[in-house]
Amino acid sequence: MKFTSFALTCAIALVAVSTGCDKSSTTTDGGADSAAPVAESTLVGTIKIDGSSTVQPISNAIREGFIQEHPNVDINVSGNGTGNGFKSFYDKGTDISDASRPIKAGEFEKCKENGVEFVELPVAYDGLTIVVNPQNDWVKELTVDQLKSMFVGDDAVKNWSDVDPSWPEEAIQIYAPGTGSGTYDYFHEVLAKKSGKELRGDMNLNEDDNILVKGVADNKFSIGFFGVAYYAENKDKLRAVPIVNPKDETAYEPTTENIASNKYAPFSRPLFIYVNTESLNRAEVQTFVQYFLANTPEVSEKVGYVRLPESVMAKAQSNLDAVSVGTHFVDESGEGRSGALTDLYKDENLVK
Amino acid sequence: MATVSSTPVDGGNSPHGTGFAAGEYSVTTDNSKRRKLYSRLFYLLCVFISALSVVVLGVLLVSIGWQGHSRLTSDLLQNSHSELNPDSAGMWPSIVGSIFICGICALSALPLGVGTAIFLEEFKPTSKPLKMLHSFIQLNISNLAGVPSIVYGLLGLSLFVFMFNVFGRIQVNESSGTELFGVSHYYQVLSLAGGGHTVLIPQDDESQATISVDAPIQAVDRDGKKFELAIWDPKSGTPKPSDPEVRQRTVRKGQVGGAYSETEWYYLRLPFGKSFLAAGLTLSLVILPIVIIASQEALRGVPPSLREASFGLGATKWQTVRNVSLPAALPGIMTGAILAMGRAIGEAAPILVVLGAAVAKNSGPQNLMDNVVTMPVLIFNWAGRQQAAYQELAAAAIIVLLAVLLLMNSVAIYLRQKMRVG
Repeated sequence: MKFTSFALTCAIALVAVSTGCDKSSTTTDGGADSAAPVAESTLVGTIKIDGSSTVQPISNAIREGFIQEHPNVDINVSGNGTGNGFKSFYDKGTDISDASRPIKAGEFEKCKENGVEFVELPVAYDGLTIVVNPQNDWVKELTVDQLKSMFVGDDAVKNWSDVDPSWPEEAIQIYAPGTGSGTYDYFHEVLAKKSGKELRGDMNLNEDDNILVKGVADNKFSIGFFGVAYYAENKDKLRAVPIVNPKDETAYEPTTENIASNKYAPFSRPLFIYVNTESLNRAEVQTFVQYFLANTPEVSEKVGYVRLPESVMAKAQSNLDAVSVGTHFVDESGEGRSGALTDLYKDENLVK
Repeated sequence: MATVSSTPVDGGNSPHGTGFAAGEYSVTTDNSKRRKLYSRLFYLLCVFISALSVVVLGVLLVSIGWQGHSRLTSDLLQNSHSELNPDSAGMWPSIVGSIFICGICALSALPLGVGTAIFLEEFKPTSKPLKMLHSFIQLNISNLAGVPSIVYGLLGLSLFVFMFNVFGRIQVNESSGTELFGVSHYYQVLSLAGGGHTVLIPQDDESQATISVDAPIQAVDRDGKKFELAIWDPKSGTPKPSDPEVRQRTVRKGQVGGAYSETEWYYLRLPFGKSFLAAGLTLSLVILPIVIIASQEALRGVPPSLREASFGLGATKWQTVRNVSLPAALPGIMTGAILAMGRAIGEAAPILVVLGAAVAKNSGPQNLMDNVVTMPVLIFNWAGRQQAAYQELAAAAIIVLLAVLLLMNSVAIYLRQKMRVG
């Protein structure tokens, strides 16, 4: 008796779960019908994407637009990190690899070994802006070394006068994104990673950029940093500090042009997608990548990145059309190249 | 604490839990006042400690509720993750995904765990080597209960996702692994109709991943009807067909197409790949030791006299287990199972290892080998975002996760109560 009633209740629970499943399929069907009445796209298939969690929002957003037009294509976007993404890419586990840095020589070698050919497509710039209060009239520009002394380690300087004796003897108030954010990681990578140190622990951390903006805007002796797209929205309340490029010793503002030309170094970096050429034969991947390139300028701005210059996008488009395989960031001898995207993303640098 | 231990031990001869009653018995002793005071202080300490945990829980719930209440809308329950419109983003696919994964987990871990517990408790061996084996297994199960879940995640990755590469690897552009049933292979080719209209061509040779269409060929449309696919050669000088119907049945000469696998819901292949089946089985590994230990405790709590009576009436071991031990232990087993499932639904680490960090999916699983989004992974992702909207969403999603957990628990508690009465 007891067991029959147990079995019965279990069965009821199971039915409840399975009706939940039915509901899922009906809701999605309904959503698809209302969202995409225009094209009777019959495109089907599964596209697997993995890689940088920085690029993941762009891929997610592109995916979102794409499935409005092609509701039956299933796109899995994972964000396990650039390195892990490349690993599954050369193991033929994914069609597209999101990357917040160019492919490394070792990864390129692995791709060759495993017979994976790819098209390298830059999709956006990620810039990082260091901002101060508009009333701050002493900071004209900052060098990387000055930033290091201000931000790195728990023995970082306390007062503005410790950075430069001519500056006021007031405590530096720092407003920074939370440790879980990619921006924090990136800032840490540029300033502290090489010396094996951490950023100072006594910053005002907040995941909400609005609070960072407010913090810097309300306090004359404060400094903060976040993505450049966010600064663009709050130009009236903040002042961006020009950063001295370590190579040519000149200070550059984080303007779109300076970011795009890599003059605003070391705080700008290009973001990429790498597409397996074998997957490009598939109608769904082909359509998706075309859609990706066509929409990435608007979409990446929307999710907080800087669009690439027209010339680079045109080059990317022609590379995709011609299926030009190989990378621009590793030279013939297998050494990594470094420099501005606009200088390196050229035909003569393409190594198969 | 030191003062409490320095008092004469009176716990042994006075009734437990009722500090006042103990005082009444000892009115005649000279230190009765002090003992009474200590007893009262200890009682207050207990109340304070239990109240403290309730307050901490309350503060957590209130702060989460404060942060997330504005997002507890029907949007949250109906929509999926949205990057472009955080204001209307939701978590429906993750709720379905979590329920499916927990279903797989319960279906595999509970029978296995209870079965193991019955074997270890009710069928104890008598010979020496078997006894040693028994205690060895027992020791291992107790230790496994303390292993961090990410270790199980890594185990699940090689065991279920890759199956040690015995059955081949799951690779893109290849019908890889050992596909058992529920799948048919096609090539998908773009037709002249544009707008993403495609035709399917049945795939004969599975090793050939791409096809180039140069001559008329048999194709199928979406209703499964076969038709002859026409070819249009731009170089021949004939104009592109203008009738949309014809365009849908024509492809450009030399058009390439890639392999496409059409799957039924029961599609199964080995290895499982990054699927919710693999994730559910991995989670079942995480909770298996908990289920076994809880079930063992429950079975141990059944008075031996009941079993002896059953044996005395001539029942076999199986009959005793079925009719006496198991029904008596079932409430305890259910309690263990509820706790274990509560842990399973909240686990993020093994899911991240096995399924990856995908969050943007519009529906629950379409087949057994499909990837899903789960609530803990979605919350993890949202909580790490910079935008305030996602922070609120994360808080609201935590409330939903708690609600689902409570719902599952209350169903299980209801079942338990029902069984106790029946």
